[in-house]
Amino acid sequence: MITTRRQLFQLGAQGIGATALLSLLKREGLVHAAPAHSSPHTSTQSAAQLPHIPAKARRVIQICLVGGLSHLDSFDYKPELEKLHGKSLGSSEKPDIFFGQVGLLRKSDFAFRQRGESGLWMSDLFPHIAACADDLSIVRSMVSDSANHTPALFVANSGFQFNGYPSMGSWIVYGLGSETDSLPSYVVLPDTRGGPNGGSSNWSSGFLPAQHQGVVISGGKQPVRDLFPSGDTSADADVAARDFAQLVNRRHMQRTGHEGMFEARLHSYELAAKMQLSVPSATDLSMETQATQEMYGLDQPTTADAGRRCLLGRRLLEQGVRFVQIFSGGPIGGSPRASWDAHENVKENHTAEAARIDQPVAALLKDLKQRGMLDDTLVLFTTEFGRTPFAQSAANQVGPGRDHNRYAFSIWMAGAGLKPGITYGSTDEIGWKAAENPVPWHDLHATILHQLGIRHDALTYYHNGIQRRLTNVHGHVLNELLA
Amino acid sequence: MFDAKIAPIFVAHCLECHSGAKPKGGLDLSSKQTAMRGESGVVVVPGERERSEMWKLISEGEMPPKKPLKKEEIEALGQWIEKGAIWGTKETISHFSASTGNRAGYDWWSLAPLASAPVPQVKATHRVRQAIDAFVLAKLEASGLSLSADADARTLIRRVYFDLIGLPPSPEEVDAFVRECSETPTNPDAVEQAYTKLIDHLLASPHYGERWGRHWLDVARYGESHGFERNDPRHHAWHFRDWVIRSFNEDMPFDRFAAMQIAGDVMTKDSYDGLAAAGLLVAGLHNTVVGSSPTMKLQARQDELEEIVGMVGQTFLGLTINCARCHDHKFDPITQEEYYRFTASLAGVTHGDRKFQHEPDAPRATALIALLKQFREAIGQIEEPARQAELAARKQGNAPQPEPPKPIARWEFNDDLRDSIGSLHGQASGGADIKNGRLILDGKAAFISTSPIQQDITQKTLEAWVQLANIDQRGGGVISLQTTNGSTFDAIVLGEREPMKWMAGSDFYKRTAPLGGADESDAKDRLVHIAITYAGDGTITAYRDGKLYGKPYKSAGPVTYQAKQCNIVFGMRHAPAGGTKMLAGAIDRAQLYDRALTAEEVAISAGAELQFVSTPQIIARLTPAQRAEYQRLIAERDKAQASLDELNRRRTEQAIFTVISTKPQVTHLLYRGSVTEIGPVVLPGVTQAVGRVPFDLKLPVVAGHDAGDGERRLALANWITHKDNALFARVTVNRLWHHHFGTGIVETPSDFGFNAGQPSHPQLLEFLAAKLIDHGYRLKPIHRMIVLSSAYRQQSRAAASDDPARLADANNRLLWRFAPRRLEGEAVRDALLLVSGQLDARLGGSPFVDVSITPNNGTTYYEPMDREEASLNRRTIYRFSPRGGRSALLDSLDCPDPSATAPRRSVTTTPLQALSLLNNAFVLRMAGHLAQRAQMEAGKEVASQIDRLYALTIQRRPDDVEKQAAIALVQKYGLPTLARALFSSNEFIIAE
Repeated sequence: MITTRRQLFQLGAQGIGATALLSLLKREGLVHAAPAHSSPHTSTQSAAQLPHIPAKARRVIQICLVGGLSHLDSFDYKPELEKLHGKSLGSSEKPDIFFGQVGLLRKSDFAFRQRGESGLWMSDLFPHIAACADDLSIVRSMVSDSANHTPALFVANSGFQFNGYPSMGSWIVYGLGSETDSLPSYVVLPDTRGGPNGGSSNWSSGFLPAQHQGVVISGGKQPVRDLFPSGDTSADADVAARDFAQLVNRRHMQRTGHEGMFEARLHSYELAAKMQLSVPSATDLSMETQATQEMYGLDQPTTADAGRRCLLGRRLLEQGVRFVQIFSGGPIGGSPRASWDAHENVKENHTAEAARIDQPVAALLKDLKQRGMLDDTLVLFTTEFGRTPFAQSAANQVGPGRDHNRYAFSIWMAGAGLKPGITYGSTDEIGWKAAENPVPWHDLHATILHQLGIRHDALTYYHNGIQRRLTNVHGHVLNELLA
Repeated sequence: MFDAKIAPIFVAHCLECHSGAKPKGGLDLSSKQTAMRGESGVVVVPGERERSEMWKLISEGEMPPKKPLKKEEIEALGQWIEKGAIWGTKETISHFSASTGNRAGYDWWSLAPLASAPVPQVKATHRVRQAIDAFVLAKLEASGLSLSADADARTLIRRVYFDLIGLPPSPEEVDAFVRECSETPTNPDAVEQAYTKLIDHLLASPHYGERWGRHWLDVARYGESHGFERNDPRHHAWHFRDWVIRSFNEDMPFDRFAAMQIAGDVMTKDSYDGLAAAGLLVAGLHNTVVGSSPTMKLQARQDELEEIVGMVGQTFLGLTINCARCHDHKFDPITQEEYYRFTASLAGVTHGDRKFQHEPDAPRATALIALLKQFREAIGQIEEPARQAELAARKQGNAPQPEPPKPIARWEFNDDLRDSIGSLHGQASGGADIKNGRLILDGKAAFISTSPIQQDITQKTLEAWVQLANIDQRGGGVISLQTTNGSTFDAIVLGEREPMKWMAGSDFYKRTAPLGGADESDAKDRLVHIAITYAGDGTITAYRDGKLYGKPYKSAGPVTYQAKQCNIVFGMRHAPAGGTKMLAGAIDRAQLYDRALTAEEVAISAGAELQFVSTPQIIARLTPAQRAEYQRLIAERDKAQASLDELNRRRTEQAIFTVISTKPQVTHLLYRGSVTEIGPVVLPGVTQAVGRVPFDLKLPVVAGHDAGDGERRLALANWITHKDNALFARVTVNRLWHHHFGTGIVETPSDFGFNAGQPSHPQLLEFLAAKLIDHGYRLKPIHRMIVLSSAYRQQSRAAASDDPARLADANNRLLWRFAPRRLEGEAVRDALLLVSGQLDARLGGSPFVDVSITPNNGTTYYEPMDREEASLNRRTIYRFSPRGGRSALLDSLDCPDPSATAPRRSVTTTPLQALSLLNNAFVLRMAGHLAQRAQMEAGKEVASQIDRLYALTIQRRPDDVEKQAAIALVQKYGLPTLARALFSSNEFIIAE
């Protein structure tokens, strides 16, 4: 009888991937079907004792703004900063920012107003998202460990500043498995302008088994790496080759007797064939109505990229993908910038970047809502850090750009079991540092896992002497955010 | 009573928090003196349990906080207090003193000295080929099980090929072995001989080092980029990889192998091998953007040291010492102080490239240098009287004084900042001052800037007499010719790129190259004269005290500075002021020339007393005989010099990414691991957990002599590889076992602590460890024992689900069969190359690069790229392996990212892996090559081509059903499609 996760994965380490393993074990009656979900799809893999707590969310979609969104120009209204515009920060402390230039305080470049029935203050930067204010739970007191992009992205994704730790998406699919066996359970949709700093390390499964890493789905004929043969082999030949391999493998297994790993391999080729059908169909956006396509902005050049990915994200979630991660912003650096890293000019940069995602993200929220999916889908809108209330310019100037700010930034969440239309935490009067209820990433991660029915201190994996966790030795669930 | 009843309670339930550097509540229950009171006052009132705070908290279930004590334990404590709370026989007790259900103590099995392990008696004596078999059989028989039958010859040769060299056997090798075994089935000795011959052949193969070196690189977390923010490539790290492969092939004793990787540079006086070996310490992540605040710098350094200490502990001792950084180890008997002792032992280790000189003919170079010295002396003997005569004549007015060159500006700094020749008068900023006829600069804000120069300047010479406040300053400018905004400049700069070296500073180093001069060591104590000349062809030459400093080099210059748009600044590299640009020191005098002075002119200018005598002046004063001898000597000297130059040209310099040894900083214990909570100083050392190995490193720590980095690492290496360190031997043999059988005797090869649990065959582990030591720590004899054993040679056939073995031991921990294993990604790729006839089997050298490397404004992207190119067809161990950036094939076959040590790989079976094996462009190309090869080797008959394909890939013949299907497949879709299909077969990617 297999009773613990550890035993389960000891088996896995001996050659049977958990994906196929669990279905095998279930067939043998060794493991009870995971009580977490009653999905119409085959539940292929899960930990025996999950969920730890009743789950509110079954799936997650995260929009990651790369480069550092200015909270002061979006979700954190600071009237005092308007008054102090052009004044000096007046602090003797040397701030840990990137370029080290501390200019004079600068007010927001965007007008703020109250939105919806909740009356949340939001700027005109994201007019479409602002129209969904009543669905949002905004955290205004995020803090990070690093003011450098790559480590800050790593912390946001894995809780650690270092390479080599599993990302949140990997932990979640390790814990909950997938609701589909014909699509990857953790899908990454990078900005078409390029990957974020740190590249694939952002969605690495670290020391978790490889099947838990994020799988990039991109456009074109090869939406997933190696989904189809490159070159000119015919589809018939593909089928024939696979069938022949399966023939050889079945005959081999007849000779060897019942062997879990061999059976898992047979099964994996069947799943591969299913994936070849389901990935193109999932990524075929022409199956959506004209109205839906337009709602996501597929008809406009500015919004088409993010629109496609948001719409694709919704389709993937519908078909049982557990975790979808959409990146807004490619590599840091270069000119003009292709990310939110507004060192030179917040107004210009943020206006251009927001134009790409505002309508698509709002459309995603509305679409999930109208399909009833927002009830059990967690939507995350995050960035690796915020920006400084002072300009990035000479000490006596109010330049148009802002530097990195790890001491305060805003993110929002929506959906599954959260209190909608609220804010949590606050910054000081100029938005320089988190003041009330600072939220480190560990706490946000703990909260996200909690909504998925996972106790963050119980989802562990043994690695080099330590039962590792997404939240390391930290993490508090933000109960005030929960409905 | 205390020893028997109370101490065990304290040890198991209390001391975790109530002992150590900062016991909770100030209550330390580990000794008699401290156990009675904490911060809040008395906790035990002897004789009165009700008045004792300890009793109250415990009996009310508040302590221990998570798990209250059992009733009888609580009662025992109460009685102990009532009977006077009398302490036991040991002065102090420790939560490490004994293992409990929660943690390992000093008595933990892996920490004990080696126990003798007599070979057990077993029933199935006919199966005992090696002593190993007796140990395995003893356990099996105790469970009523036995070994499976021997695997057939074809399975065995395939297994042992992949296991020992990571490549499949050729069809011919399989045939030969099968024939040898089947020709003599009745003569077991002949079979044994055939197999033994095969094993010895494989262990002697250079591919053995590639295979087992790869396993080691997993443990070494060997990656070829820094990771973190920048993730810059490490182009010179591969020397370590090659050293590992060579060492395995040479069967270097493992104690030396280990020691070399900790202190090879020290042990071999920076030999090529020693430098390469020490690459282990720095093979992991390295943060090159550590943040601006001092706290963040300290934090980054502590993180780095934890990474290194963690790797060393896990790799060689199976101890997760790094888990004791913030508190005593939660599971193993390692104190927080011991963690910092290890840290101190490695505190001098930093990351970087070291230069290594390959000397083609060192003895000849030495001889030439000696010869040159003789010539110099002989020439000097002729020159010196002539020089003295010339100087004497000058004194008497009989010879012309040599003319010093004429600058266009001169600053004497005697009373003011004026230019005593032209009009380039200076202006002081930032507190620059004149004292005792010198310009005083503070290295922070002080500098002088002159009015704009009124003429264009292209060729130039900068010259100054300067004394430095300190010689370890980095980047201060003495005199700089710059555009007035500072964006373009040429300057005399100290220590910017290399500490203590002078250099010709320029904007973005455009005209800067290493001069190769000596470290500045005098300028702190006296004025030195520094001049740099900028010739019209771009040559930049530096002089110190009138003599050539290093070597001239050709730059992209010279820059023409436009009249009125340039000026001179003193005390800073270029405008604007601030940061490392500022010089701390004093300038006595400085001059600017609008041409490049000759060496002679610089010498004259530098020699304040005009002591310089030129060669023509000397020759003029020699007798004809002297002159002939002088000229002969000069010619001979030039010839010797030319030979030496030629040798030096052939001398190649190689960069090796390895340990940069630095003077260790003082190590402190850091409470809770926090760099701001500094505790007492900790000396370099190790842990006392490892039984019987003296844990004093015997490093000299007397006042005035702190052990340097080299001494510390050498002592650590000696301690780890001490012959009494049983743990080291156990961990080493277990790694071998792990790779031979897929699972170690201890399942966690880098963790022999509490979390590792118990070994499956404790006696066998002791036996193998002892054998390793007996064999002088050589691995090949141990490999040999293992692969020759019956346990290893069993068949892998799965048992029926009601088979007793399967019921009793589904995980095969007792080894009732050989568990089949999916090949690692590297072995799959290597096998694809080999069977397709494409493998370039060259050993060693710089890596092949199958990723694009794109630096993008402070970070580096690595994207896998696929292309058909013979140079990429090398074994996968030679692949350039940055952190991130692997092909889907390697990724889906579980090749670990080298960011963390991977002593045990996960093995998964996924649809993405199936897709890669079917569709990956590289796999398809190899299928094409394999088909071509089979056609060439088997001729026109489809049936023989199919046979050949089978033989090459899975080393057997197709059965009839397969044959029929294969013919149909090939006829319709061609031979490459069959090759592609066979690459997806279990038999290809699994070693049974």
